[in-house]
Amino acid sequence: MSTRINPDTIPDLLTAMQTAQQNAQTAAQQVSTGRRVNNLSDDPAAAAALVLNNAQTSQDAQFQSNIGDLQSKFQVADSVMNSAVQLMTSAISLGTQGATGTLTDSNRQQIATQVAGLQQQMLALANTSYQGTYIFSGTDVTTQPFSADSSDPSGVVYNGNSAVTTVEISPGQSLQANLPGDQLFANSSANVFAALNDLTNALNSGTGIAAANTEVQNAFNQLNSQRVFYGNALNQLQSTESFLSQDTVNLSQQQNNLVGANLATAASNLSQSQVAEQAAISATAQILNMPTLLNYLS
Amino acid sequence: MGTLISSLNIALQSMQAEQEALSTTTNNIANVNTPGYTRQTVSLEEAPPVQYGGLLLGNGVSVGQITSQRDSLLQTRLDQETQRQAKYDSYLSTMQQVQTLFNETSGNGLQSSLTNFFNSLQQLSTSPSDLSLRQGVLTAAQNLAQSFNNIANNLSQLQQNADQTVSQSLNQINNITSQIAKLNVQVSAATASGQNAGTLIDQRDQLVNQLSGLIDVSTIDAGNGSITLTTSSGAALVVGNQSFQLSTQTDSASGFQHVYSQGSDITSELTDGSLAGAIQARDQTIPSILSSLDSLAWGIGNSVNSINQSGTDLNGNAGGDLFQIPTSGAAGTAATIALAVTDPSKIAASASGAAGDNSNINAMLALQNQSIAGGQPPLLAYSNLVFQIGNDVSTAQSESTSAQAMVQQLQNQIGSVSGVSINEESVNLVQYERAYQAAAQVSAVIDSLTATAINLGQVTTAT
Repeated sequence: MSTRINPDTIPDLLTAMQTAQQNAQTAAQQVSTGRRVNNLSDDPAAAAALVLNNAQTSQDAQFQSNIGDLQSKFQVADSVMNSAVQLMTSAISLGTQGATGTLTDSNRQQIATQVAGLQQQMLALANTSYQGTYIFSGTDVTTQPFSADSSDPSGVVYNGNSAVTTVEISPGQSLQANLPGDQLFANSSANVFAALNDLTNALNSGTGIAAANTEVQNAFNQLNSQRVFYGNALNQLQSTESFLSQDTVNLSQQQNNLVGANLATAASNLSQSQVAEQAAISATAQILNMPTLLNYLS
Repeated sequence: MGTLISSLNIALQSMQAEQEALSTTTNNIANVNTPGYTRQTVSLEEAPPVQYGGLLLGNGVSVGQITSQRDSLLQTRLDQETQRQAKYDSYLSTMQQVQTLFNETSGNGLQSSLTNFFNSLQQLSTSPSDLSLRQGVLTAAQNLAQSFNNIANNLSQLQQNADQTVSQSLNQINNITSQIAKLNVQVSAATASGQNAGTLIDQRDQLVNQLSGLIDVSTIDAGNGSITLTTSSGAALVVGNQSFQLSTQTDSASGFQHVYSQGSDITSELTDGSLAGAIQARDQTIPSILSSLDSLAWGIGNSVNSINQSGTDLNGNAGGDLFQIPTSGAAGTAATIALAVTDPSKIAASASGAAGDNSNINAMLALQNQSIAGGQPPLLAYSNLVFQIGNDVSTAQSESTSAQAMVQQLQNQIGSVSGVSINEESVNLVQYERAYQAAAQVSAVIDSLTATAINLGQVTTAT
């Protein structure tokens, strides 16, 4: 006794055609977008991970931009330091010259004038600005850090503050972004302006030159030890830059793993589904053309 | 003679019987493409024998019953799977549109607005007094607010669309239930008078199946051919000859249409059918998404505002709000959040008042790692939301596909019981035709025998 089957076979064939069509569409979309995941529902976990991945990539790019900005600023500061150190070197040699016993008062006064000149140049360097704000003012970046003030024993007064700022350069890593002018040029251990001023006065008066020379030497050492900050910072920025470049590459790889389409697979799916669609169409045609008993009964 | 006449009667009866059988077969063939048609079979029975003298003589054939070949159990299961599929399909028609609002697979969704906002703060932190960088922050904040607004407004629109389908579905449901009630009367009447109610039951089954596509229907056989329909939670739809209309009332809290049966709100009790799918999207899934977005928008807006208020702006004044957010709490923030300042100097980057102090900006940046959005950091909260939405849609798609496969399987099974096979009916056609011909031939023979008997040997036949 055979089982009766559904005489209407068309719905199954229609479903087969529709399924094949849908598969073809999905495969074509993957090939054209290059992505396996084109809707959140294609792979919800991958989509969620992609959100974090894209954010990280974008943040890394921003960090690299921050690093670029800081590198420019620090390079300017570093070259200022270079010039400042050269000024101090000149001051030392002038001071040594001025200490020789064979000089006349007027000779010493001439040297004093030169040292005063160095003071002026140092003042200009300390007031360097970068992109419209002063580098050595602490956080008081719109205020000129140093100005000449004859009432002050150093001849110069500091108008900025002692605050430092930090800037984030990679996730969780921050860098001090400035060195305040008072720490650099006028700190309690050695004041560059005071030293130069004292040397000028000593040369003019003819007394205390040796002490002034020692002061200048201390100030020179202090400046050298402080400027290391910029060299170190530039190094750190460089290595963080490399890290971020590598991180960006890793993120790109991760993104590909998460949502990228295997083009070979997608292309073969596409052709497979096209074959399946053809087969369903051909089968439907055959069924539709099949004769019934009525065709044979006369 | 009596025997000849009775033989004639038998032949006549046979022709009638075969004719009835033929018309049933013809009806089957005519309805081969009619959806929901159940093929009918004829049972031919031997008529009760008669006593003639000492003999029991056969009395020909009669049509016993015309039976519709249906399997009610399969039909009920088909209705159940239809309800299930309809719910998921209707849910998906809204939810697939919802998920396109979160265009994260191409990287153009809310995430990029969020990240760009924090990136603009990063940029500003390198030079906090720079006016063009400050403007960059305002622009990014504006974009973020607008992204929230767009998504929230679109979600509300999708809720409105789902709401409209509720009223439309109810009209259809009420229409169908009143038709079923009328059919109940007709089927009961036909069954009571012993007639074949097959066609009427076919129509009623089709209507119940249509109804299943709309709402979760429980069918109970009420006896005497009538059926009682209720929702699966027990709200009456059809009882005997009466249909119970469903109505809508606007809910005061949500502004959407709620479904009422006999004065009770049954909206949250509907479990299957397209109505339940639309309601689930409208009343549960979308509100939950909006709530997550609200909590994210409010978390960011409120925290940034607090930090800004604690700092000093470029003019030396205390900072105010950067974002405009509801005062009453997170609800509705995503739809209404906006930028509160247009002047870039109003960003309070400084904690100390000094123009180069970026510590307030750094505090805003630190929000990225703080649990300001419903107990989670903002990006993680958003990533989880994206997962939820994708998962909801993906699950519904699987359910819909499996329900569809079940529906198809059941339809095949029903077809194997009730479907009309042209070949089968052709065989019946021939069978009944031959029997009819034979009976007609018999009548002709008896006719000639009778003529012979009447004419007593003289061979004259009436022409």
